[in-house]
Parts: sequence; structure tokens; C-alpha cells
Amino acid sequence: MIEYLVFAAAFGLLLLGLHRKVIARVQMRPGPPVWQEILHALKFSFKSTWVPKTASATLYVGVVLIGIGIWSAALFVVLAGESILILFAIYMLHKVVEHGFGLSSGSPYGKFGGVRSVISAASEIPLFVTIAAIYFFTGSLLLDDIIAYQTVHGPLLLIAPPAAIAMYLVILSKMPYGPFSIVEGKELVSGYKTEHFGVWRAGIAVIDGTKTFVLLFAFVAIFIGAVPFSLALIIMTVILVSLSFVCAVTPMLSPYDSVTVQGLITGLMLLYAGYLWWVMP
Amino acid sequence: MLDIGGDNLFVLEFGDILHYYTPYTATLFLVALIFTGLVIASRPEKQVDIAFGGDAYYAKETTLSEMRFRRFMAIACGLATMGAMGSGDLFNFTLFASLVGIANIGIVAAVKSRHVLDAAYEYGIVAMVATLPLFGGAALILATTGTLSIPALAAGGFAVPLVGKAFLALGVIGEGMAPFYAAKAEMFRAPGAPYVIMCSLSSLLIFLRVVEIVITI
Repeated sequence: MIEYLVFAAAFGLLLLGLHRKVIARVQMRPGPPVWQEILHALKFSFKSTWVPKTASATLYVGVVLIGIGIWSAALFVVLAGESILILFAIYMLHKVVEHGFGLSSGSPYGKFGGVRSVISAASEIPLFVTIAAIYFFTGSLLLDDIIAYQTVHGPLLLIAPPAAIAMYLVILSKMPYGPFSIVEGKELVSGYKTEHFGVWRAGIAVIDGTKTFVLLFAFVAIFIGAVPFSLALIIMTVILVSLSFVCAVTPMLSPYDSVTVQGLITGLMLLYAGYLWWVMP
Repeated sequence: MLDIGGDNLFVLEFGDILHYYTPYTATLFLVALIFTGLVIASRPEKQVDIAFGGDAYYAKETTLSEMRFRRFMAIACGLATMGAMGSGDLFNFTLFASLVGIANIGIVAAVKSRHVLDAAYEYGIVAMVATLPLFGGAALILATTGTLSIPALAAGGFAVPLVGKAFLALGVIGEGMAPFYAAKAEMFRAPGAPYVIMCSLSSLLIFLRVVEIVITI
């Protein structure tokens, strides 16, 4: 099983490196090499590491391990074809982990990153619209059942495109350098990550890589269905490049604008769920 | 019963009341357990604040008596959250959810800061009002179907009123203060990260659980 985790983290980091490269090229900059994020993770693994004097030491270290744990669990949920409700619960729990990163160090930069993470919780609600829409069509939330449904009826991407858009926006809200990346705004240095350095930062890189892999892989499985693994990786890369284009041409919103826009999106998605509930037998 | 959270892993019976654990609820339970362990093992951080208008900064200290009280409330909150995760009875679930609300107020109300106390007071009012739809929802379902057992309701044969489900969700949102994050941000000026995080975590977990309940019954 460990080989799956290593592959997911490494491929996810490669995708994040590609993300930075595409953004740079769209903005007419050379950009870093695509393997830069993997190099970062390796570099931080061998940096000197300690716990800041002001930090809540157990929590400071514990959230790194919890972050790795929940995204490892999410990977196995997807690979085992288990309930996507678990996957989305883990996605929401990531908010608490970000919050823990931010608050545990005692730094004001980390703290405001953590608080921004909490106020942007509106971005999670479209997830439940995705779940509701999928459930209305497939009658199940088990990933295996959803894939089986698509084998008979075709991809959910074509059957319920607003649900796919909702999940696409949810993934966008988690992408670095995007319009909703207020938790890592440069005015907060690195936001909630500011005070985690050395091995702890390498742990965050593993979390980010695994998270990116899991969310994109889940998107392919939920909205396109059963495809060969190599094709799934290609589709994931294409989706990521499209996200990179959005991030490259969209400025980061201010925290309140970000929450307002996410709230409006949530309202639209709730209307769609209400419509489905009304018309579906 | 719908297996939206996966197949039942095990059922814990207390007479005619039962707790059941699916992969979904077991995951939520484990997360609550881990964070409760962190609350027990962690000491509060020393939040650094910059003195406005100068170069100076200072670290906030948490007194021992404040730390003990907030740690106690955070552990109570964790236990209530764990109870809510596995509960197979709607009334027990509402009790656990309201206990989470009370414990959350306790976690922040011990902090001697005007901003934090204002936020705690406002949240207290919201949480108190939210008990009405919370218990009202359970009462409506009991009056309509004659049972509060989640597995019995999920087995079918009962017309669970939509308004009852909506009241349950609304009550949990109020107790978990999910839509009141602006006020929560004020609460987070409070030092004591391990305890403050329990507020955030418990709100999220009871919200995730009520989603499962509302879809299942």
C-alpha cells in the first residue's frame, strides 16, 4: 500500500509543479521546472527542524501527522471504491487541519491564515450539492456503484454538468495561487504554513501532493467513470492545466469578496439541487 | 437501511438504544477521538501580538486556572461529539448536539477579552435559540412516525416529514455555529489553539453527521 501513497504524493507534487509552470508561462515568465515541488519536499526533509518557543508543541506536530493521515485515508477510500461521503468529510476536515496549522504556532500570520480558512468555509457547501446531485441520479454514494452507473448510462459529466462544475470550483478553491487562495495570501507571508518549516514543511508538501492527486482522481472517477489508470492520469493533468489557466488570469480576491463569490456559487448550486429534488422521481 | 456511509461495521446496544458505526461514522468518531487526545496532551500556545503603532510585540499567556477550565470544556466537547457520531437514536443525537453547543460556549467564555466574550455571548444566544428547531425536529419526527430510532426510520415504511429533517439540520447549524463564522473569527482571538480547534472540529463533525442522518431517514 505504501507504494500507492508514495506515487500519489509524488505525482500530486509533479502536478503542482506543472501548475506553477503553466501559470508562469501564461504570465510570460519562465517559471520554475515542473519537478520544483518535489525538490522542495526533498530539500525541506533535510533542513534543520525544531518547534518554535511560542507554539503548542503537541498540536504543532500533531496536525502535520493528522493531515498526512486523513489524505492517506482519502486515497484508500477512492482506491477501494468506498462511500464518497467519507471523501468529502475528509475534504472538510482539511479545514480544521489548516486551522490547526495556523493557530498552533502562536504567530499572527499563521493565525490570520487559520481564521481566513474558517471564514472561507462557504466553499465547502457546493460539495454537498455535488453529493446530492450524484445521489439523485445514482441512488448510491459508493464510488463503485457510481462508476457502475456510468458504465451503463454514460459519464455524469454529461448527465449532471452543474454538479461537475460545483466540484471543479471546489478543487479550484484549494489550488495555490488561485482566486480563492486567501489562506496563503502573500500579505500573510505564507498564511497558515508560515511557521512550519523543515521536516514539518516537507509534511505539508506531502499533504498538498496527496490532496491534489486524490481530488483530481476522485473527479475523474465520479464524473467520467471507469477509465484505464494511465488515461485517468492524462485526464487529471488536462483538468489541472485548465485550473492553472483560471488561476493565471484571475487575481486573488480579497477575503470578503472571496467569501461573497463562494456564497453566490453555493446559492446557485443549492437552487440546482432543489430543482433536481423537485423533478426527480 | 441505505448504506451511504458504507456497510455497518458494528452495533453497540444499550438496551433498546443503539450506537452503530459505518466506515463514515467510524471515521468521524476516530477524528473526534484523536483531537480529544490532542486536547488532553497539548498545552496552549503563546499567541504573539504586535503592539499597535510601534515595533514591540508581546506573547499572551494563558493562566493555569483558565487552561484547566477550557481543557475540561474541550474534553467534554470531544466526548459529546464522539457520542453524536455513533448515536442511533435521534433524541440522543439532539442531546449530544446541544451539549456540543454548551461546551463550545464554555471553551471561549473563560477568556478574559472583551471581543471574545462578546462573540461568546452572541453565540450563546444563537445556540440557545437553535435548540428549538433541533428538539422540535426530533419531536415532529416522533409525533409523525412513533419512533426516534435511526435504523428503524431508515428501514422504510415511515413518512418522515421533510420539515422535521429541515429543523434538525437547522438546529445543528445553529448549535455548531457553522453559518456564524464572522462571530467565530472574533472568538479565535482567544489564545489556546487546542481548545479553540475543538469548537471548529465539533461544529464540522455534527454537521457531517446530520447530513448522513437526513439522507438516511
